Amino acid sequence: MNNVIAQLWPEIALFVTTCLVMVVGLSKDRGTRKLCAPISAIGIIVAGYLAATTSVDTATTLPFMAKYGKVLAAGVGLLLLMLMAGTADRQLEDAVDRGEKFEPLRSTRAEFYAFFLFSLMGLMLCAGASDLIFLFLALELTSLPTYVMVALSTRRDRSMEAGVKYFFLGAMGAAMFLFGFALIYGATGSTALADVAYTIQNRAAGTGSIGPLALTGLVLSLLGVMFKIAAVPMHFYTADVYQGAASSVTAFLAFVPKCAGFFAIMLLVGCAGWAFGPDGYGSGTALPPELRILLWTIAVLTMTVGNVLALLQTSVKRILAYSSIAHSGYMLVGVIAGPGPAESTLASNGLAAVLFYLLTYGVMSVGTFSVVAALERRRRATAADAAIDEVDHIDELRGLWKRQPHLAAVMVICALGLLGLPPLLGFLGKLPLFTSALGAGEIVLVVILGLNSAIAAAYYLRLVSVPFLESGEPSTPDAVVPTPFPSRALAGVVAAVLVVVAGLAGGTLGSHAERAGTFRFPTKTMEATRHASQPTSTVSVPPDAAERGPNAR
Amino acid sequence: MNTLFCTLAQSGWPEPMPTGTLFHYLVISAAMFVIGLIGFVTRRNLIIMFLCTELMFQAAGLSLIAFSRFHLNHTGETFVIFVLTVAAAEAALALALVVLLFRRKESLDAERWAELRG
Repeated sequence: MNNVIAQLWPEIALFVTTCLVMVVGLSKDRGTRKLCAPISAIGIIVAGYLAATTSVDTATTLPFMAKYGKVLAAGVGLLLLMLMAGTADRQLEDAVDRGEKFEPLRSTRAEFYAFFLFSLMGLMLCAGASDLIFLFLALELTSLPTYVMVALSTRRDRSMEAGVKYFFLGAMGAAMFLFGFALIYGATGSTALADVAYTIQNRAAGTGSIGPLALTGLVLSLLGVMFKIAAVPMHFYTADVYQGAASSVTAFLAFVPKCAGFFAIMLLVGCAGWAFGPDGYGSGTALPPELRILLWTIAVLTMTVGNVLALLQTSVKRILAYSSIAHSGYMLVGVIAGPGPAESTLASNGLAAVLFYLLTYGVMSVGTFSVVAALERRRRATAADAAIDEVDHIDELRGLWKRQPHLAAVMVICALGLLGLPPLLGFLGKLPLFTSALGAGEIVLVVILGLNSAIAAAYYLRLVSVPFLESGEPSTPDAVVPTPFPSRALAGVVAAVLVVVAGLAGGTLGSHAERAGTFRFPTKTMEATRHASQPTSTVSVPPDAAERGPNAR
Repeated sequence: MNTLFCTLAQSGWPEPMPTGTLFHYLVISAAMFVIGLIGFVTRRNLIIMFLCTELMFQAAGLSLIAFSRFHLNHTGETFVIFVLTVAAAEAALALALVVLLFRRKESLDAERWAELRG
C-alpha cells in the first residue's frame, strides 16, 4: 500500500495544483485570475519532475510503463497548456475590459483549467494502474472532464452539441468496458492486474485457451476502450466532436484520451499475453487467436477508414480528426506485434514502439492543431466579439506563408512528420512499428500499414502545400488573423523544433520507450495473492516456460 | 417486534425463495446490458438515452456483485461502490449538459442537434 502511495506523488502534486487553480480562477482581481495558467504550468512541471525522479515498478505485466507514461503526460501536457491560453472566458474578459463588472458565476476559467489538470491526472493514473478498479477510475477521470471541456470551449451551439455527443458515446463506451471488467473479474476472481494475468495465463497453459468468460470480458473491455482511441467501430463521434470543440481542446482530445486508451489496451491485452502459437500457450509469440483476429480487423479498418475519409474532407480539423483515427490504427499494429523476444529492443518490441509512437504523435498533433488554434477568422465589418470564429476550412490557410511564415513552417514540419518523412520524428516513430510487426511475422499487416501511409501522403501533402498557395478572392469579408495569444503559436514552434531535433537525435527517447515497453511475465510472486477459490483447477506454468517467456519456440 | 420477525422467519413465511445461481444473475445482467445498448441505439430522447447508459452500468454492477459472492471475496462489492460513485458523477454531468441544451432549443430530441455532419 505504501508502495502505491509512493508512486502517486506526481498525481498528488497535480491535485494540489488543481485545488489552487479552482480558487485562484475566481478572484476579483484580473491579475490574480490570469495566474491560473502559470500555476498549472508549475504544477505540471513539478509532477513531471516527481514522475521522472521516482523509481516505479507497478505490479503489472508492464512494470516500467508508469514512469514513461507520466513523464510523457507531463511533457505533452505542458505543450497543450500553452495552446489552452485564452480558450476559457474570452468573451467575459473582453467584457470586463470594456468596464463591466466581473461575475464569478459566469466565469468558467477556474473549472476549465481544473478539468484540464484532472484529465491529465487521469492519464497519469492510467499509466500507473495496477488494478481493474484503479484502471476504471483512471479512465473515467480522464474522460469525464473532457466532456465538460468540449462543451465549455466556445459559446457556440456546435460546441454544446459536440460535448453532448461526446458525453453520450463516452458513457456507452465506459459501460462497455465496465461490463468487460466485471466479466474479467468473474473469470479470475481478482481485480489486481497481476493476479488476473497470472490466472488467465496459468489456465491457458493448462487448457490451451484463455477461457470463454475471460475472452468475452477482454473483448468487451477492449471494444469499450476503442472509444477512447477512436478506433473504427467506435469512431463515429470523432470528426464531429473534433470540429465542434475549440481547436485547443481538440488538440487535447487527440492526445490525452487516446494515450489513456492505449495504456489501458496494453495493460488489458497484457493480461492475455503474447505467448500463443499454433500449439496453444507457450508455443509462439502471438496473442490468443481470437483477440489477434479482433485487433487485426480493427487495426486494418481503422487505418483504412481514417485515411480514406480524411481524403474527402475540406475542414482542417476534420482532416486531422480522421488522421488521428488512422494513427490509432497504426499504433494497434504495435499492440498486435507484442513485446517480441525477451531482451528485445525498440525495433523488435511492439509495445515499446507504441509507447514511442504516442510521444511522437502527441508532439506532432499538438503542432498541427496549434496552427489552427493560433489563427482566427475575423469579420472586417464589425469589431464585435461574435464576429470572431475559428479557422476551419482548409482554404483559410491559403497564403499563410506570406502572412505568418512561422505558422506555415510549423504546419509543413508537423504534417510531414505525421506523414513519416525520414529525417523527422514521425519516421523515427513509425519505423519500430514496421520492424516489430515484421519480427512478429505479420507481413500482411505491414503491407497494409505501408499502403495506408502512402494514402495518407495525399492529404498531408495538401496540408503542406496550402500555405504556399495564393490566397483566395480578396473580396471576402473575413480576414484570417493571428489570435492575440502568442503562447499558442509558441507551442506550435516548440513542437516543430522538437519534431526536427528529436528526429535527428531520437536515440535517447527511444531507449526510454524501450525500457518502458518491457513486458514481464506474470508470476505468483508479483503480488501477495490471497484469494483462493478458482472456478477451474489451475495448472502451474512449467518453470522453464515462465522464465524463457513467449519466445520459447 | 424483534421476536415477531424471528417467529415469522422461522415459521417459513414468507415462502423461502429458491436461491438463484450465478447463472441466473449473469443472464439478468446480460439482459439488462443488452436492453440498455439497444435502447441507447434506438431511442432519440436524450434523457432516455442517458437512462439506457445507466442501465448498462447497473448491469455491470449486478454481475460484479454476483461474481463477488461466487468467488467469496469482497473485491467485486468494493468495485460496485466505486461504480456507483462514478455513475452519480456522470448523472450530474449528463443532467447539466441536457439542461443547457434544453435552454438553447427547448427540445430533448437528439435529432434536432445536427449542425455537425459530414
